[in-house]
Amino acid sequence: MAERSLLNQLTGALRCLPGVGPKSAQRIAFHLLERDREGGLRLAHVMADAMTRIGRCRRCRTLTEHEVCAICANAQRDASLLCVVEQPSQVVAIEQAADYRGLYFVLGGRLSPLDGIGPDELGLGQLEDRLEEGIGELILAVSPTVEGTVTGQFIADRALSHGVRVTRIAQGVPLGGELESVDGGTLALAFAGRRDF
Amino acid sequence: MSIWQPSRHGAELSPGFVLHRRDYSNTSLLVELFVEGRGRLPAIAKGARRPRNPASALLQPFQPLWLGVSGRGEVRTLTRVEGEGPPLGLSGEVLFGGFYLNELLMRLLGRDDPHDRLFGIYRDTLVRLAEGFDLESGLRRFELDLLGELGYGLTLDREIGGHPVSADSWYLVEQDEGVRRVDFVPEVPLVSGGTLLALASGDSLVDGQRRESRTLLRRILAHHLGERPLRSRELYRQLHGSRSG
Repeated sequence: MAERSLLNQLTGALRCLPGVGPKSAQRIAFHLLERDREGGLRLAHVMADAMTRIGRCRRCRTLTEHEVCAICANAQRDASLLCVVEQPSQVVAIEQAADYRGLYFVLGGRLSPLDGIGPDELGLGQLEDRLEEGIGELILAVSPTVEGTVTGQFIADRALSHGVRVTRIAQGVPLGGELESVDGGTLALAFAGRRDF
Repeated sequence: MSIWQPSRHGAELSPGFVLHRRDYSNTSLLVELFVEGRGRLPAIAKGARRPRNPASALLQPFQPLWLGVSGRGEVRTLTRVEGEGPPLGLSGEVLFGGFYLNELLMRLLGRDDPHDRLFGIYRDTLVRLAEGFDLESGLRRFELDLLGELGYGLTLDREIGGHPVSADSWYLVEQDEGVRRVDFVPEVPLVSGGTLLALASGDSLVDGQRRESRTLLRRILAHHLGERPLRSRELYRQLHGSRSG
């Protein structure tokens, strides 16, 4: 059998991208080859560079090519606030949306008893070190799933034993949402957490 | 009696629970369900992880659900999800108890075997745990019921010969041989008659009985679970250890 052509290899490789099936992969390959070789080369270089050089921040475990990420290295940020999130993408989301000036800690997942994801996989020992260094408030921004709750409970337990104040981001009705289309659990939480108008 | 409950939309929905979920492709979930009338089965919830899809909030462990499932392949398609009520409020240690129940079912229950009685027991156990019933007693009760449902039921209030168990004696319990009264101390830990009677009647366990029955059930379950340890138990121990230390 003939060796797989380079074109086939390219379309095959492109399929590792999320949401890209055989059709899209082919379209992307032809587009880059026929119309944008320069862009394709640039992509290849940056991709190779990023894949080899980006690691995890020593302090907060987010993705960075430096030893310490820009947020952790920024002396202007309030080091007494520590926000715990599950994924690096959530750091970006909070940075873009909220006026938060504190630091982060990225778990990389959540405790999952049935998948065998325990404290070690989430770097909870490292978080413990941060708690020992002393912080004023730990903000839990883990996802409101059952496993997120387990994770939050565990972290809150540890933080409280260090005398650290623990808060959790609010849960409730999304902006622009209609009450009747919100699921019952969210609505119940929104109701329980109501505030003075 | 039919297990199918007519829904107001006309689709056929059955009561069920999610035992486990994991992300599948970009926007879907792969869920392991325990459905009344159908037993344990895997299903894909297409698009459940799309923003604002209420299914993602509903498809969680310990949330009583109405489920519509279609397809005949090994992995079904989830067609409808509705909450049957608020999620059962398990928290702290009890939440780990819930995960433990789920893991037991995932490990010991074959797929597509209805086990309707067990479904009721599972639901009742969760409800009782959520209401603050003693965790250990609840877990032991469930383990015994699960063994019974799988065909490995133990008679705990009578000896092999039919003699009633006496609260003041000590007994050896083996999966295949049942309860035997002993006067010597073998390698296998003994169980007091009082513990056996409490387990058999489903009463709440008191201090010494908890440890005895935990050791007993762990040893019996180990026959069926094989080599692979239960992860929820390990994680609980890990967390509990670091909590007390």
